[in-house]
Amino acid sequence: MNWSLFFGELVSGLTLGSIYALIALGYTMVYGILKLLNFAHGDVYMVGAFIGFFVLQWLGGPLTTAVTGWLAIAIMFVVAMLGCGALGVGIEIFAYRPLRNAPRIAPLISALGVSIFLQNSALLLWGPQFRSYDTFDLIGVKSYHIGRNFFISNIQIFTIAASFGLMAVLTWLVARTRTGKAMRATSFDREAAEMMGIRVDRVISFTFFVGSALAAAGGVMFGIVFGQIFSLMGFTAGLKGFTAAVVGGIGSIPGAMLGGFLIGLTEAFATGYLPGGSTYANLYVFALLIAMFLVRPSGLLGSPVIQKV
Amino acid sequence: MRRRAIAIAALLALAALAIVAAASATTNRAAAPSAQAATAASLVKCGKTRSIGLMAPFTGPAASIGINQVHWAQYFQRTYNATHKTKIKFVNEDTMLGSANGTAEAVKGAQALGSNPSVLGVVGPAGSNEVKATTGALKGAGLGFVSGSATNTQITTDGTRTGYFFRTVPPDSSQSKSVSGYITGKLKVTKVYIVDDQEAYSIGLADEVEAQLKAKGVTVGRDGVSQQQSDFSAIINKIPRDTELVYLPWQLPPKGQAFGQQMKSLGRGSVKLMGSDGLFDPLFSGLGSNVYDSFFPLNPSDKRVKAFKKLHGGASELFGAPSYVATQVVSGAIDRACANGTASRAEVRAQLKKTKISKKASLLGLPVSFDKNGDMVKKPFGVYHSVNGVFVRVG
Repeated sequence: MNWSLFFGELVSGLTLGSIYALIALGYTMVYGILKLLNFAHGDVYMVGAFIGFFVLQWLGGPLTTAVTGWLAIAIMFVVAMLGCGALGVGIEIFAYRPLRNAPRIAPLISALGVSIFLQNSALLLWGPQFRSYDTFDLIGVKSYHIGRNFFISNIQIFTIAASFGLMAVLTWLVARTRTGKAMRATSFDREAAEMMGIRVDRVISFTFFVGSALAAAGGVMFGIVFGQIFSLMGFTAGLKGFTAAVVGGIGSIPGAMLGGFLIGLTEAFATGYLPGGSTYANLYVFALLIAMFLVRPSGLLGSPVIQKV
Repeated sequence: MRRRAIAIAALLALAALAIVAAASATTNRAAAPSAQAATAASLVKCGKTRSIGLMAPFTGPAASIGINQVHWAQYFQRTYNATHKTKIKFVNEDTMLGSANGTAEAVKGAQALGSNPSVLGVVGPAGSNEVKATTGALKGAGLGFVSGSATNTQITTDGTRTGYFFRTVPPDSSQSKSVSGYITGKLKVTKVYIVDDQEAYSIGLADEVEAQLKAKGVTVGRDGVSQQQSDFSAIINKIPRDTELVYLPWQLPPKGQAFGQQMKSLGRGSVKLMGSDGLFDPLFSGLGSNVYDSFFPLNPSDKRVKAFKKLHGGASELFGAPSYVATQVVSGAIDRACANGTASRAEVRAQLKKTKISKKASLLGLPVSFDKNGDMVKKPFGVYHSVNGVFVRVG
């Protein structure tokens, strides 16, 4: 047994899965409240990555940052999350709220339109070139050896830890706060929540804010870990985030987290162990999605929907 | 009863669609050859402005190298227009090389150029897979096309585009010999891992280098990644710990840079990296002194290179230089074909075959003329080593 390869793929899978989990959370939260698949979510993640990049440039670039590397990263996170949170609210107000009482296909098409709009706006504004976060110059990447077979870098540790931290904050927000209670109530029955005095419009906007902020965090993390961002990166990431949300159980927050890690680990272990691994990694991921639909359509942690007939 | 009626109606509709599709295909095929023949043989009055199609990845994942090629082509246009009474005008087509659409955009662009009667020749496309995909459209329209970067060996030797396609860059067979020779002869490496990017250019070059290294007794591992991929950590984990060199015949310098950085972050920074001409870029050379690359023997001290650098804020973008020569070849062919005031695409193609650019006039550091396959007669490849972030020729 090649333990070095096993642990390497485990860490790679958890790192990638952390990013997918953050994207999946946005999908699942919006679906839970509005029963809408927000296909623009992947592009919000891309915008977050670019905001992080431009904040870094504004701070002086990776070689001559005005503050220490880790502080610069913290600022990048905060600005990107706030910026994309606002973007998410804007998208909800202009693209989805007017269609809230329309047939379900209408907001879905609107979501696709927003996705194309964001992609092409990014291409127009920022061009097609790859942008580099240059994390090496920013914080000095180090790898740690534990024993003979286990290697992990400081960036991977940071990504996994930061993702868990954000997920913990979200779980606390939804489970332990008044706003979270309002979100759960709206997700359970929007009409009843409105009748109980909950300002549903505000709750929905807040949900979009939080979901988009998490996607932005994922985008900045992607730039830090993998170094490169570009205008079209949101499409595939969005698909994988959506897959993670469905595999975990669409509408379930713990499910989205679990789904994200499962997708990341599937990709990593497929690359490491299966024939044509890296080339067909996406094939294995989407095969997992199809298998999930066949075996457990509600997802790993989702509940089957019972309809009264 | 109702279900049966719906099923019959659906079947009839499908049958009708199939008939219409077959009829329109027949119609199109019948019309196409005569339309194409008319365009290929049609004489165009050579006015003051001559139109050249320029196919390059203006946008998309390969835009960082595509823009290099565009800048060099435009640089030739600028110098030509400043020194000639006749002027070159580009008809641009964005191929979006490396995008999720594959070669669909390149094919659309080729069709658009083919149906534009003022276009007499084409510079591009950039990728070997794009050359393969656009051959039907360009050849069908009678257009000769000259690429400054498509290096897959088979695209000139398979006979499919003889007389139509030419390139101002040596093929992979030259590159692979230089690379494998340097790896075994100078670096004396015995364990190599090759990672291709699943495109025609990369797979072809990787196959040749792998075969040549194995023939010399080198242990070779092989894997592939997608051009859309950014996370290489899983594949880096697969590379055996005793690997001495990783060969990356890739087209996208930002991806090469990302791979090198991820190698470092996973504690594999001491492994040598060798790129191909697609990675001949400061993004790749900036990774460190463990980086090597192969490229044609361009002279960086050439006054045109210096003038280009000055025009572009100090960036030399040498990857695009063969596109300057490709434009030089196409415009020269058009000028010769237009000697009597009119020219057809067939005449321009005939002149492309007769191209003779002296070593002094060529930017490539060698004279440019073509053999019967469309390859340059002289086609060496050099090996470069990164020294202080800049590639220096060592082989």
